[in-house]
Amino acid sequence: MTDATYPQVRVAPARLLNPETVEQLLNLLAAIEGIRKIVLKGQSIPAEVPYGPARGKPNPHPMHRTITVLGDEVELQTHVGIIDMELVTDEALPAIREACDTVFTRFPYSVQEGRFMKTQATVSDYAKYGPNADEILLGLVDPKSRRGPVILQGSG
Amino acid sequence: MAYKPQYGPGSTTPAENRRKYMDPKAKLAKVRDATDEDVVLIMGHRAPGSAYPSAHPPLAEAGEPDCPIRKIVAPTEGAKAGDRVRYIQFADSMYNGPSQPYLRSYLEAYRFRGVDPGTLSGRQIIECRERDLEAYAKDLINTELFDPALTGIRGATVHGHSLRLAEDGMMFDMLQRCILDQKDGVVKYVKNQIGEPLDREVKVGKPMDDKWLKAHTTIYHSLVGTPYRDDAEAIEYIQRIHSLRTKYGFMPKE
Repeated sequence: MTDATYPQVRVAPARLLNPETVEQLLNLLAAIEGIRKIVLKGQSIPAEVPYGPARGKPNPHPMHRTITVLGDEVELQTHVGIIDMELVTDEALPAIREACDTVFTRFPYSVQEGRFMKTQATVSDYAKYGPNADEILLGLVDPKSRRGPVILQGSG
Repeated sequence: MAYKPQYGPGSTTPAENRRKYMDPKAKLAKVRDATDEDVVLIMGHRAPGSAYPSAHPPLAEAGEPDCPIRKIVAPTEGAKAGDRVRYIQFADSMYNGPSQPYLRSYLEAYRFRGVDPGTLSGRQIIECRERDLEAYAKDLINTELFDPALTGIRGATVHGHSLRLAEDGMMFDMLQRCILDQKDGVVKYVKNQIGEPLDREVKVGKPMDDKWLKAHTTIYHSLVGTPYRDDAEAIEYIQRIHSLRTKYGFMPKE
């Protein structure tokens, strides 16, 4: 693990976002130089009803969709409400604000700087990835999840 | 002097609305026309048109014991027929939703007979005999206590009351029981309250506009509505209650 501390920012719009809006925003953000990681956070939307009398039935939901970011497919499993990012340096910040201004035209948003994702391995990370975990994976996905992060190849 | 209930403190719009909704003499404005069949479909307890299943024989046939209380209290229609006890549950958005759990329980206790309201932070359930419930549920849906976008009829998986709204103004619902039709702007229930798909869509009308919501809300909200701190009378009341109960914790002796 490196000792470098990378700046982190959180974009919080005033509304939960539609997949089309997320797609538009991510395509702008992913094209910005200097963003190391992007984490989409929001309320989970499972493919099946997880509990209650309708347990196990399919849960079709317009917000559970696959979007395309720079040519790569990303399955949205949440109704996105927060976008956390880790930057190489602060220099990417104006471009991030510009991307948000372009997309969030019908409602306001806020950009906060602070610590929003983990920077060192927890016990769960250790159990999942072992002692030599790749630092870039930390904080990107729940270590208990079977799904990994999406790595954008930038081929699109 | 005859006792006149005050229902609640406050000098702002949410406080006035709370008093109005709780007062059984105040008539609630009817703003939409959900039919009996619509209500039965959304609740999902029985097929529309089917007979009411019963939990016990009708009271007339049951041979009730000689009881002074039973002589005083007339049974509701549902109790008389021996209906099952069934429920409807609501989740109300904090973003100027027209109702909220505590108020719902109060107003149901004031306005309806034979009900068992259950109050929780993000949802409110009302239980009573099935045919009574259908009549009460119709009132709760058709009057100003309901907004198609900000009130959810949710038997399970209720989460959403405190979340930001979706881009189209709908409250988050993991099971997406109702959707806003972008063409005609009407909210339609596509699943019943526990998330089972419905045979036909049930329309519950267009979401109310911001002005209407602000005038009819019973929730204080510092960002989108009336901040609680702006209501001096309500603050004074709550501080008095807080002070009295704190002092009473020390068992003061006069």
